[in-house]
Amino acid sequence: MKRSLRSWLWRIPVEREVDEELAFHVEMRTRELTAAGMDPERARALATRRLAALRAVRETCVDIGTKRDRRIRLMQWLEEFRQDVRFAVRQLAAAPAFSLVAVLTLALGIGANSAIFALVDATLLRPLPFPDPDRLVQLWERTDSTSRGSVAPLNAADWDARNHTFDRIGGYIPSVGGMVMAGADGNAETVPRQWVTHGIFDALGLTPVAGRTFQPRDRDERANVVVLSEEFWRARFGGDPAIIGQVLRLDGDPYTVVGVMPREAEIIGRSSIWALFPVGNDPYLRSARFLHVIGRLAPGVTRDAAATDLASIAAAMAAEHPDTNAGRSVSLEPLHEAVVGRDLRVTSLLFLGVVGFVLLICCANVANLLMARATARARELAIRSALGAGRFRVARQLLTESLVLSVAGGLLGLGAGATILATAPSLLPPELLPATMTPAFDARVVVFCAMAAVVVGVVFGLAPVWQSTTTRSARTMASDGRGTTGRGSRLRGLLVAGEVATAVLLLFGAGLLLRTLVAVDTVDRGYRAGSVLTMMVDPLGGRYPTVASLVGFYDELETEIAAVPGVARVGWASTQPMGESSLGDVTYDVVGAPVTDASQRPAADYQVASAGYFDAVDLPIVEGRAFTDHDTETSEAVCLVNEALARRHFPDRSPLGAQLAIRTSSAPDAPVTLRRIVGVARQVKARPDELEPFMQIYVPLGQDPTDDIFVFVRPESGDAGVLAGAVRAAIGRVDRDQLVSVRDVATLGDVATVATSAHRFRAVLVATFAVLALLLAMVGVFGILSYAVQQRLREIAVRRALGATTRDVVVLVVRHAAGVIVAGVVVGLAGAALAGRALAALLFGVRPLDPATFAAVVAALIVTSALAVAGPAWRATRVDPATAFRL
Amino acid sequence: MAEMPVKTPNALLHGALDALILRTLAHGPSHGYAIARSIEEKTGEAVVVEEGSLYPALYRMERKGWLEAEWGTSELGRRAKIYRLTDAGRVRLASETDTWRRFAAGVARVLFPQ
Repeated sequence: MKRSLRSWLWRIPVEREVDEELAFHVEMRTRELTAAGMDPERARALATRRLAALRAVRETCVDIGTKRDRRIRLMQWLEEFRQDVRFAVRQLAAAPAFSLVAVLTLALGIGANSAIFALVDATLLRPLPFPDPDRLVQLWERTDSTSRGSVAPLNAADWDARNHTFDRIGGYIPSVGGMVMAGADGNAETVPRQWVTHGIFDALGLTPVAGRTFQPRDRDERANVVVLSEEFWRARFGGDPAIIGQVLRLDGDPYTVVGVMPREAEIIGRSSIWALFPVGNDPYLRSARFLHVIGRLAPGVTRDAAATDLASIAAAMAAEHPDTNAGRSVSLEPLHEAVVGRDLRVTSLLFLGVVGFVLLICCANVANLLMARATARARELAIRSALGAGRFRVARQLLTESLVLSVAGGLLGLGAGATILATAPSLLPPELLPATMTPAFDARVVVFCAMAAVVVGVVFGLAPVWQSTTTRSARTMASDGRGTTGRGSRLRGLLVAGEVATAVLLLFGAGLLLRTLVAVDTVDRGYRAGSVLTMMVDPLGGRYPTVASLVGFYDELETEIAAVPGVARVGWASTQPMGESSLGDVTYDVVGAPVTDASQRPAADYQVASAGYFDAVDLPIVEGRAFTDHDTETSEAVCLVNEALARRHFPDRSPLGAQLAIRTSSAPDAPVTLRRIVGVARQVKARPDELEPFMQIYVPLGQDPTDDIFVFVRPESGDAGVLAGAVRAAIGRVDRDQLVSVRDVATLGDVATVATSAHRFRAVLVATFAVLALLLAMVGVFGILSYAVQQRLREIAVRRALGATTRDVVVLVVRHAAGVIVAGVVVGLAGAALAGRALAALLFGVRPLDPATFAAVVAALIVTSALAVAGPAWRATRVDPATAFRL
Repeated sequence: MAEMPVKTPNALLHGALDALILRTLAHGPSHGYAIARSIEEKTGEAVVVEEGSLYPALYRMERKGWLEAEWGTSELGRRAKIYRLTDAGRVRLASETDTWRRFAAGVARVLFPQ
């Protein structure tokens, strides 16, 4: 009661309230003065003057009054909100099944979204974990053919020395190799090692955990120095700072530890040891381009200014070294973009889109549930509004209910998200995510969840509000509650059609990614052996100084391994199919063909292979011969090429007998080896999804042995993995001094699995969510159908009484469902046709408008819809005609 | 006219006017003019309450929730804004009274040493 009076009071504008009150006061005083005997005229004049003098007081009062009203309104709003929440909780508790389903649906949607948000946050939104990350750029050599070329070490050194716009420029070799570290107990272990130039850690702005970073004097003194990763330092040396200045024996040579780098340093590579790459004056280092380079811009320098600076340096260098640097400039890319890369960016956004759609479906389902409830509660709401609850008030009440649901769902979703994130890192393919980017469950994710919950609550809450505030109260109260409200059921049909459309879209995307996965998994890898064991065998430098001694060592190993029971074939090669190439690319010319410009020479993977390799992995020789034991140092220099190389240079003749001039670099004075082509090997894949055919040159092991080589072991039958122990033991019997590093033990199947892991991860994740979306959409279809059947029980009973057959009733229900589902499928497929193009970057071996995927999606829809429709249809056929006459 | 203290813009004396108003309303709801007259009578006209201090004080206390107001009818049948004490106002009255008692005792000890 008090409240209603007060609210009546508010309707007076505060100015009038103050005026009236002051006038009353003055009048009372005048009255009193008159009563005390003052002349009424004089008293009135006094009063008028008095009122005029009170202007300032009036302003003060109006001001305070305005603030007072604002506060009271807020208090009242909060009070009402509290009441609404309490009422909503009571309402939801009264319908536990409904509430549970709604909250779980929302928890699912919000949980999945928060986990994916954490991934997107870690990769795309969060700045790199370095000081002033905006000043970090990746530098590339730019030519006519590429804007992101690797950098020659001497070029990087010149950029660093001559620029006026960078604090520091440093480089690293992107691949991480291994070094054998001799332990105090006599056991050697292989430790990941990466080569860097001295400026890299300063460019990143890293502060050493202990010791110091590399300095220019380390380079000048050509010192054997290394820094350790913090993780390795803690795990191997117990985090002892006394390690600084100590000497480690790596690959048999002494290296002094000068510092320990924090975890962030692993952004350049997951390594344990960083060693200084010796950049001397060897002209080869001007033309061999293998460094990745990072620069830190000086404070206040823009990227454009730095680009201009480097462009003029590159122009000067092109003039000084025309052979190697003509036509070469520099391109800059923000480091964050370079690190995240296109693949990861597209993947993150893809996932965000997918889980966003799933959340929309969750919302639509809950909105449907709420609307069904609101229809059931139509009478209650009509009565409340007849009793004076304003339309706005009822709307607020309903929205509060939605918000209570969504906040509960958000809290549960937070838990779900945390659980997903706790298990996710082990599921992420390591090469997809740079080392420093780990999705973490933190305050940002919590804020995201809270915002998602509120937005979601409002979004799905609006539907029932719209429905219930537009129903006519009188009619609803008069009806017996069995009538459907046409507008509500139409809106719900639309929502479910939207769900179906979204599910179709996701299914289609998942279908394309699964087809891509199948394509990369079944791609013709070239070799035909079923199961092959492979491991890198790396004798320490200097142990076998001559070609003969190294080849002899490998022969001895091969004999020992071949004697292992169960081993059928043994071979050696420096490149794994679908895996690592330890020697990398060389450039070459075909002898006798028109001479190509030095900077335009073709490049091919250079692979050393033993005579037994082709047999070991069952790689067919399509023309000519394989290597034999007679291809030695003293015989003619020969090589094999693969089909891609043969097609490119010998399109209409046999390459056999032709000669290749092979150079280890594009430097003009790089040594040239002439090799005669004696055979053509079948094409193997370097990557499962390579778009351009991979070109390869095979060289006999006996003519150019390397100490970074893989052994390939084919078993007589069964899984090659079980031979690993025996093969290692065989190597141990030959390598009695333990001076050989054996690492990367895997089967070729494992190597291929790693190569396709990003595709697998995407396909599995998107497929999981798509199936979830389909289930949710079908729950939606089931929901509206069972509701419609429930609402039309009497109508169906009347029809049956009038002679409708079971078939007629089923048709009635199916027709209702068909409209919704067909509309959803059509819209979904149209969307899929558009979205397929956006996915193109992630697809391989399947076209964005793949008809098979279209067909599969439609088939999946038909099957699941049949399941969703079956229940309500069955219920409809069971309606007893007698209910028609029960009033 | 009025004793100077009431007009001094001092927080403590400000509080004194608040306390006087709250105390007056503790006897029952009343409109602004009646509050002023009541204070003047009870202090033997030692304190004169002017509109300039009374109404801002009333609005301020209403804003703070110590008072609430509604429109009612004055003794003379005119529409008047009637103030009443809230529970928060009663608590405030107790604390203001206590503060004032200690202040007055302190001042008295200085001015009238035993």
